Order: sequence, then C-alpha cells, then structure tokens
Amino acid sequence: MRYYEILYIVNPNFERKKIDDTMKEIDNRLTKTQSKIINHIVWGKKKLAYTMQGHKYGTYILVHYQGGNKDKLDEFDSWLKLSDLVIRHMIVRIEKEPDVLEKVDNESPIEEKEGLKSEKDKISKEKNDEETEGVE
Amino acid sequence: MAFQTRRKYCFFKENNITEIDYKDVKLLKRFINDNGKIMPRRVTGTSAKMHRKVVSAIKRARTIGLMPFIDNGSE
Repeated sequence: MRYYEILYIVNPNFERKKIDDTMKEIDNRLTKTQSKIINHIVWGKKKLAYTMQGHKYGTYILVHYQGGNKDKLDEFDSWLKLSDLVIRHMIVRIEKEPDVLEKVDNESPIEEKEGLKSEKDKISKEKNDEETEGVE
Repeated sequence: MAFQTRRKYCFFKENNITEIDYKDVKLLKRFINDNGKIMPRRVTGTSAKMHRKVVSAIKRARTIGLMPFIDNGSE
C-alpha cells in the first residue's frame, strides 16, 4: 500500500468553524476514494514566501493517508485544484507509514546537533594539535 | 603556515541525517543563499546523494510557499 501526504493552504481569514468545515469536506471526498486517513491536522498560520492569489499569509493543513482507488484519487486531485476552499495544495508520496501525529513538529533540533558537531570539531582539533606537537 | 584550507564536510553525514523533509525549512535554509538560490555542492560540501535530496526538498518547499523562488528583499 502506498502512503501519501497532502499539504494544503486555506485562507488565513477563515474562522475555526470554516476551517473545520473545509477539513470535513476534504475528509468526505477522500474517504469516497477508498483511502484511509491517518492524520488530518492544522499546522498553523504562516507567512507565505511569496504572495498567492493576493494572500501574504496562509493556514497550512497536513493530511496523511493510505492510497485507495487511483482514478478517484486523480479526480480528487483535480477537485482540490479547482476548489475555492484551498489556495494551493501539494500531494507527495511518502515511503514509510506515517506516525499518528498530535501536532506538526518537523523542525529538526539543529542547535543540539550543532553542539555535537562543535564538540567533535574540538576533539579533532585537539587531536591535530597533539599530532603537530609530536611532529615538532 | 600562511593560510589554512577550510575543511569541507557533509552536514548530513556529520549529523547522521538520512532523510530530508521538505517541511523542515530551518534545515533547508542552510543550503540557499541570500537571494534564495540553491548553493552548489562545491560550496556547501554536501555529498552528492544528499545534495540531490536537498534540491528536491527545496523545490517542493518552494511550490507550497514555504521557501522563496527569489528573495530580493523587496517586501
């Protein structure tokens, strides 16, 4: 079975209820394609890198699902493209089965890793120093 | 010595990262310059395998508006 991920942007001025309605509509359409929805969560309001349809901000929503009927999924894709509810969407295939998420947290903790890296550098530098001392 | 050559290293190998997510903008920002262009491998020192993954992730992020195609600071 193939797993897919949709990230779509809705109007940032939508109220909570309108967002829920949109999500429900998409849920309904997706289940009609015999797909199994794993996650459907709001990522949050973000500033767009460039304006889309006159919007500078957008609310990002993430969906993970297990693929169903291919023809119906193609139809669903074109419906999303034509729909007024969604500013933009992107469907991506993912290799592994996605975990069930409470919230989207995709930022890798680089600070920690940088800490590790600098430590490594220090160690290697110390080694180098020792080596050069030995040579001298 | 008069000058030291800068050691190049693959950021991903150094940090044991094997998969790159296009939603991880903070990570991908390291691989673009001020204008939003993808930096070449000879500058970043990334391995060929991971560079291909970085490129596709940046392009996906651009499509969905998480990263700029061009960033000339006009806003």
